[in-house]
Amino acid sequence: MNVAQAAQEIGGKIVIAAEQAAAREVRGGYASDLLSDAMANAVKGDLWVTMQKHVNIVAVASLNELAAIVLVNGREPEQATVDRAREERIPIVCTPRQAFDVIGILYGLGVRGRRMD
Amino acid sequence: MHPAALAEAAAFAGVDAVAVCDHNSAENVGAVERAAAAKGVAVVPGMEITSAEEVHIVGLLPDLESALALQAKIYRHLPGRNDEKAFGMQVIANEFEEVLGFNEHLLSGATTLSVEAVVDAIHRVDGLAVASHVDREGFGIIGQLGMIPPGLPLDALEVSRRTSLPAARAAYAPRGEFPIVCASDAHEPKDVGKAATFALLGRPTVPELRRAFAERDGRFILGGGRPMEDLALHILDIAENSIEAGAGAVEIDLLEDPAADSLVIEVRDDGPGMSPDLVAQAQDPFFTTRTTRKVGMGLSLLAEAARTAGGEFAIDSKPGHGTRVRASFRHSHIDRAPVGDIETTLMVLMAGNADLNIRFRHSIGSKVFALDSREISAGDLPSRLTRMRELIRRGEEELQVQSPRSKVQGPKS
Repeated sequence: MNVAQAAQEIGGKIVIAAEQAAAREVRGGYASDLLSDAMANAVKGDLWVTMQKHVNIVAVASLNELAAIVLVNGREPEQATVDRAREERIPIVCTPRQAFDVIGILYGLGVRGRRMD
Repeated sequence: MHPAALAEAAAFAGVDAVAVCDHNSAENVGAVERAAAAKGVAVVPGMEITSAEEVHIVGLLPDLESALALQAKIYRHLPGRNDEKAFGMQVIANEFEEVLGFNEHLLSGATTLSVEAVVDAIHRVDGLAVASHVDREGFGIIGQLGMIPPGLPLDALEVSRRTSLPAARAAYAPRGEFPIVCASDAHEPKDVGKAATFALLGRPTVPELRRAFAERDGRFILGGGRPMEDLALHILDIAENSIEAGAGAVEIDLLEDPAADSLVIEVRDDGPGMSPDLVAQAQDPFFTTRTTRKVGMGLSLLAEAARTAGGEFAIDSKPGHGTRVRASFRHSHIDRAPVGDIETTLMVLMAGNADLNIRFRHSIGSKVFALDSREISAGDLPSRLTRMRELIRRGEEELQVQSPRSKVQGPKS
């Protein structure tokens, strides 16, 4: 499943880098609202589910080569975030659903967390 | 980090002191101290620490030694190594613009210390713990934790440039639970001085700030705001011009009439007045008779602000007849500068000029709040400042309550 398909499944709209969205494969998922935690544990190709909307989320997604950022609860990225995500070509998906449901839907479709302990 | 550029920016901004607060380190404090000493700007060593919950807490530290001791503890609790591609280079520089090395710790990361442990670590080196930008969601204590944990022994709260002090007090410390300070949170030299705190201190040091936060021994936090942007601080600037020219009395009018879409500020003094040449020169951005700052841009910036907001600017003055500066604005204009914190203006004026007669009038529509400093002439300076602040807060609150505004101009107001 690619990011565009995942966005559709969770009722989200791709607000940044829609062109990249179709091309990026979703290999797994990670959920966290602490950036330091996401940096340490989200891996390349993960879909990152979060409610954080400030510009630093783009650095994390870029650093860890994540598939996309999913913003839940109807939250929208701040302007600085939008600008940076465009620059870095990181897809951001916005959904009105809450994280619990988003993750449930994706898990049901076979997306898994891949963090090794 | 550019110690020399930072020192230059601070001197140009006309601040008396800067606190240098890099993320999770203090490697550059020494260099900034040396660079700033040459420019006549004091430096308070500091550090902005990221707790495990990703709350930013600023530590203001008494000296370089305590800063480095705290740094050692922070490094021990800071996992990860920097990735220069993702987060940029973490430069360690000296005051001669020479790069001494690169910090390999992941300074933009979070420590493993809880917010309680961070505050405690700061206090153990005799520092002051200030919750950073509490008005911001990202990395602010209220944003990250939903509240200020009851009993957390913070020394003060800081708000960003986005929030005016009156709004901050109402939101975060309505009963004076914490002192509130403003800072620029400058990450680049150009942002230094964009917001500042005014304090009555013996010297710009942490022990003095501690007294000011507790209002002990005559030390006070007088207020803060955005210099050269807030109308309240333009008024302060004009009044200070008046005093330097020899005025013994200053009248300040802040006249708001939302129904007529008008905002007028007027400052009148009983000083020696100015000749027509001097009046023209006063509006020249490169002219100043003041010795405290290199460039006297205040009046020309205010004139520009008035014109930008659909208003006018005028100076009326004659030798022997005092001076009147008047700036008018369209109240609802999208670019109309925020009023800011008029309490700061009056507190700073009284704190710096014990004998000055200040007459202040703030009207919204037909409601008026007036204050005459001659009513507050009894007692020592700290008790007069306290009394004046009480009067201002009560007066301003009554004024706002009686006059619900038809429009709210953004979060700044």
